[in-house]
Amino acid sequence: MAPFDLVALLGTTGSYLVYLGIGFCFGFILESCGFGDSRKLAAQFYFSDLRVLKVMFTAITVAMLLIFWSTALGLLDYDELLVKETYLWPGIVGGIIMGVGFILGGYCPGTSLVSVATLKVDGMFFLAGHIAGVIIFGETVGFINEFWHSGYMGRFLLPELFGVETGVVAVMVVCLALAMFLGFGWIQRLVYGKQK
Amino acid sequence: MNSVLNPRVLGAGLLLLSAVGLAMHGQPDLEGKWEYLAPEYESRLTHRDVFIDPAELLHMMNDDYIELIIYDVRDERDWNIFHLVDAERIPLDQLPTQRKRLRAQSSLAVVVIVSNDEILATEAWKRVIALAKPNAYILEGGLNHWLNIYGVLDEESDSHAAASLSRPDGTLRHPFKMALGARHAAARPDEHIAPQREYSSRVKLLKKVAKAGGCD
Repeated sequence: MAPFDLVALLGTTGSYLVYLGIGFCFGFILESCGFGDSRKLAAQFYFSDLRVLKVMFTAITVAMLLIFWSTALGLLDYDELLVKETYLWPGIVGGIIMGVGFILGGYCPGTSLVSVATLKVDGMFFLAGHIAGVIIFGETVGFINEFWHSGYMGRFLLPELFGVETGVVAVMVVCLALAMFLGFGWIQRLVYGKQK
Repeated sequence: MNSVLNPRVLGAGLLLLSAVGLAMHGQPDLEGKWEYLAPEYESRLTHRDVFIDPAELLHMMNDDYIELIIYDVRDERDWNIFHLVDAERIPLDQLPTQRKRLRAQSSLAVVVIVSNDEILATEAWKRVIALAKPNAYILEGGLNHWLNIYGVLDEESDSHAAASLSRPDGTLRHPFKMALGARHAAARPDEHIAPQREYSSRVKLLKKVAKAGGCD
């Protein structure tokens, strides 16, 4: 039953090759979807280009269904997957900071790496700023230690929040995705008169 | 007709259908999850790799290095009559409440499940493994075996004798004069005074592997 211990199965070199292959595919898909271009990414927030929403939400939805179908069929032990623990208040503040940074800079950390791979100068500056931010945060997080650990909820998932079965949450997420695709498409047509 | 064959509509329909199917199928409960895990873990039961000698449990009870958790899965009546010091009574149906705690255990944590014999403890072990895959073991022969070794003559009515461990039926086979719970001498015998036994150690501390992953 997955997840498998790749190092035990394939050895260190073999597991690194698997990581390399997955990373290559991930980068390839991101670049081919246009995620290496900050203008296309930022256009999402002005409703002029919905590819980020469509690609990312579709990927999330498909991954969700694959994971929970695999769990349902006994192919995967979901409890063994890493789920970041919830720290509510710093999570909200961090989300706002990241969102603002995404709009202003045109990248999230992952897509900035894609843009660097295609030698985009703005991506390089974004990544440099990202690294500097990580270093400064690491050196100063001790000053906000209390806030940094506030709102701890452990491994908290949507089924627990809504008190329903995982499958019901899956239906809700898919409906939300489809509603957002249609809704944002409608806004796009309203503002720009066409859908890209 | 054209709009139905549109790849976007087909994709959306497929996603929705898959999600509805998932909701109808449901996720496996503990017993269902054990069925999936059994090919990997059943051999530990059949080879008795997870059954530890009472002497090994006693040694761990006195080892400050190990974070020992003892789950007693018997009913309240037997618990009140006798239980081990530091044991926690967690009936089978309440084991899921231990999920977060078990998942948060360090590599020094060892879980030992006890019942009167091995029947209930084995069932609990399967559920605990399905719950969080902790470093869990079962007391060999259960508390009946424990009391055969560490039981005190004066605490039991009639003539104290080693209870038969054959044909286990889940019952406590030591008739105590009083229900004193963990205040019996046998609840935590002095390791240095208690009968010494040779045993092959089964407990191995886990090597925890840090999980990583995520996006952004």
